[in-house]
Amino acid sequence: MNVEIADLTRRFGRSQAVDGVNLQAGPGVFGLLGPNGAGKTTLLRMMATVIPPTAGRLRLLGRDPGAHGPRREVRRRLGYLPQNLGYYPGFTVTEFVEYFALLKEMPAARVPAAVAAAIEQVDLGDRARAKLRTLSGGMLRRVGVAQAIVNEPELLLLDEPTAGLDPEQRVRFRALLRELGQQATVVVSTHLVEDVGTACSQVALMDQGKIVFHGTPAELTARGTEQGTGDAPLERGYTAVLAAARSHAVARS
Amino acid sequence: MSSPPDDVDLSRVWIGVAAQVWRRQPGRLERAAGRLLRSPGLARALLTTPSLLLPWLIASVVVLAAGAAATLGSGQPVTALLAPAVAAAAIAYSYGPGIDPAWELACSMAVSVRMVLLARALAVFAVNALLGLAASAVSASGAAAAVTFGWLVPMTAVCAFALAVATVARSANAGAAAGVAAWLIVVLSGRVASGDFTAAVADPVLFLPYLAAGAGCAAVALYATRIPRGTSR
Repeated sequence: MNVEIADLTRRFGRSQAVDGVNLQAGPGVFGLLGPNGAGKTTLLRMMATVIPPTAGRLRLLGRDPGAHGPRREVRRRLGYLPQNLGYYPGFTVTEFVEYFALLKEMPAARVPAAVAAAIEQVDLGDRARAKLRTLSGGMLRRVGVAQAIVNEPELLLLDEPTAGLDPEQRVRFRALLRELGQQATVVVSTHLVEDVGTACSQVALMDQGKIVFHGTPAELTARGTEQGTGDAPLERGYTAVLAAARSHAVARS
Repeated sequence: MSSPPDDVDLSRVWIGVAAQVWRRQPGRLERAAGRLLRSPGLARALLTTPSLLLPWLIASVVVLAAGAAATLGSGQPVTALLAPAVAAAAIAYSYGPGIDPAWELACSMAVSVRMVLLARALAVFAVNALLGLAASAVSASGAAAAVTFGWLVPMTAVCAFALAVATVARSANAGAAAGVAAWLIVVLSGRVASGDFTAAVADPVLFLPYLAAGAGCAAVALYATRIPRGTSR
């Protein structure tokens, strides 16, 4: 298993963003669904080793990221696209991707070809030497994906990767996700259920810091056959599971 | 036009061509830093700090040159009074979430942000110390020892303070403002206590407190960027 999480908790002051999450994931594309404020981004940030958990157990690629040496090793094999991608406006696409390839400690001799391959994979070859300040929001998102995949990561964490992409790009990106998921563990946090339906082999639904559903997209769809609202079958499953989880929470309290 | 042989992977060929066409040639300074630090990534991160970019360096040179001219004209150690404030601002803007737009991403990299902090702070401090020494030499403000203890020691303390505030508050603006304000308070306090504006850089009694304050602030900065404890239990 590339991701092993047990009773993982993260608090910010009095607020409990992630509340006792248990999760395991091997190679494949894993979708993380949930409403705003459900804790998806916080969970992804802990998996990206950006913030430490308050409590619980986290193992990534068979290592404990709490210790310095293993964390560095995990980070070499990790790809991460944050929800808000900060960038240097004066860098070109190539310079930006190369910068993070170097910070991931890729061997310098391998970097130029890896950068070129990553840029081509996100269809930005024609803008490789353009300054980032000249790119659209969707293109910047693709630059973010390129830096995440430049080191051919074994664990790829993508927070809202399709935000700002046009429908055509979104379709191509889902194909890229499926391709990457053949070798690596790809965790995708998204609001878009159609991304999950077409690209993910497993899906977890988060609400109020907890995982309230874990299964396949087909199993999530099946939950919405009798109740749930939405235009698509998966959407109905999503709303049905959320409604059930919330009524359980109300009953408990 | 004939088609390529079946065993030729055109996309692979194109990647090889693109890698050569798009590749960035590191400058001499970056190559030297990469060898010195034994990390091309750290060298690249070092040279992307705003405080080592040309506009910053030009601004520092202008301020210190004006200070040297004023020292020559008035006989007062203006360079010594200016240098700590200039360096404190530069240090505050060398690193951190307040100044690095890609901070979140940098926090997930194998080259740790703390190493970047140390490399950048040291380099920015060294550059500013060299600029200050040059300005002092031009304005002939005293012997080397007097120059060193006159403003290099307070500059170290003020820089460490600015760095500590910038890392704790996660704001370069806060760090720069705190560093400049602290130095202003020290200079004005010296004026009130001894009737002399230059007491902050001329009174040897202050050197030990400066060094102690510098060490304390450096410890705070290191604590603020400490590696989190183990999470697997």
